[in-house]
Amino acid sequence: MASAELLLMLLADARLPVAGHTQSAGLEPALRLGLAPDEVEQYVATRLSTIARVEAATAVVARHHLRAGLSTSVVEAAWAARTPSPAMRRTSRAQGRALLRLARTLWPDDAAVATVSGVPRASRAVALGAVAAAGDLPARELARLVGYDDVQTVASAALKLLPLDPSDVAAWVLRALPAIDVMSADLAHLALAEDIPASGAPQIEAWAEAHARTTRRLFSA
Amino acid sequence: MPEPHPTRRTLRLGVCGPVGTGKSSLIALLCRELSAELEIAVVTNDIYTDEDARFLRAAGVLDPARIEAVETGACPHTAIRDDITANLIAVEDLEERFAPLDLVLIESGGDNLTATFSPALVDAQVFVLDVAGGGDVARKGGPGIERADLLVVNKTDLAPYVSVDHEQMVADASLARDGRVVIGLSRSDRASVNRLVTWVRGQLHRQRTGTLVPADPGPMARHSHSHSHDHGDDRHLTEHHDHLPLGTTS
Ligand SMILES: Nc1nc2c(ncn2[C@@H]2O[C@H](COP(=O)(O)OP(=O)(O)OP(=O)(O)O)[C@@H](O)[C@H]2O)c(=O)[nH]1
Ligand SMILES: [Mg+2]
Repeated sequence: MASAELLLMLLADARLPVAGHTQSAGLEPALRLGLAPDEVEQYVATRLSTIARVEAATAVVARHHLRAGLSTSVVEAAWAARTPSPAMRRTSRAQGRALLRLARTLWPDDAAVATVSGVPRASRAVALGAVAAAGDLPARELARLVGYDDVQTVASAALKLLPLDPSDVAAWVLRALPAIDVMSADLAHLALAEDIPASGAPQIEAWAEAHARTTRRLFSA
Repeated sequence: MPEPHPTRRTLRLGVCGPVGTGKSSLIALLCRELSAELEIAVVTNDIYTDEDARFLRAAGVLDPARIEAVETGACPHTAIRDDITANLIAVEDLEERFAPLDLVLIESGGDNLTATFSPALVDAQVFVLDVAGGGDVARKGGPGIERADLLVVNKTDLAPYVSVDHEQMVADASLARDGRVVIGLSRSDRASVNRLVTWVRGQLHRQRTGTLVPADPGPMARHSHSHSHDHGDDRHLTEHHDHLPLGTTS
């Protein structure tokens, strides 16, 4: 078994084949519908304290449930209740499916991966819980993964959507890292679905809904 | 490789090539010609819009529900080559919803000569050029031109207007391809349409009889020595489809 650090690198790598290139973490509609280009770094911070926080907490609790042999359906339901945008739920479930497809190749005999694969339409957060259970990734690293991936998704989409110097964008990511650490420390101990924070971002959700209806888009979400 | 489909009867056929050469038109043509005898679905990889999907839906050749558009996040090459997840999911969805499908056509998005499909996504691929892009393109080569299962030189009806000798273009392409199939096509030339349809039926037959092994055109340029002598090399490239042809130079 490899170290948690190396597994984390593998899972956080944009080259992981889970269709990450199709995602902008809501940045594309945000920019189209009113977010100013100089507000993107703030957008990253907002997501970390809202949507990414719900997702990280859900992943941590799903991991716990899978390791304890408990059903994840209550976790899935808690996440869905905290994600009122149908478009965002659809996106997450498509990502969950992509991740589980990969996980079945990486951990073909793992019980957690098999269990969550058997659940129709598992969210990305719950699928990540299964991946963490399969790879023995600690809860705190799992929460870090969710936070980091969210930031990098915005950052790499920003480079496609705005005239930016890639070095400046890497600097945003570096500046966001402490907030990811704080978030993961906060969430790592969670075990109960009811403890998943309900920290939505209504404006981002409204943008996600608008994006799902447009016919001109680079990113799926 | 992704999950194997040892018993999959559906032929997954990729269609790629430069912008505007007629990929969507070729797909619409195949739907028109074959939808009476085959169950067909289509996946498009648009870059900015769902234009291709809308074109095909508007063409009225297929139930619009059988046409699925995949967003590629401005990475059209990635989506058909190094991370095929979004396309595979779209293909599998269509295959499940409309089972049993005979043929899924996948149109690539993008804009250059080097993009080819991963053999994990498609069973066979067509590369489409057109005469309006110039007579030299076929001779210049590239992985799709040289090693796609089929090369189409499209819009031969336009050849006189763009001062291209399309028969010469087909001959150049055949040379660059070591005899792999080239079809000069025009939607207004019935015989050429028949040749295309016959080729697709042939692939379908091979898929059903388990004799179609996906061949990877790969991303690499051909070796610089004369192509009339590197037949053996090219065989090597196409048969060992799950390895890049690194280190295969004799
Ligand atoms: N003259 C002539 N025009 C053709 C033929 N096939 C396609 N076209 C035209 O070529 C243009 C481009 O065709 P499309 O099928 O949209 O090409 P495409 O490769 O899908 O284009 P992109 O998806 O934008 O890369 C359209 O105006 C078609 O009508 C043909 O056989 N002859
Ligand atoms: Mg097209």
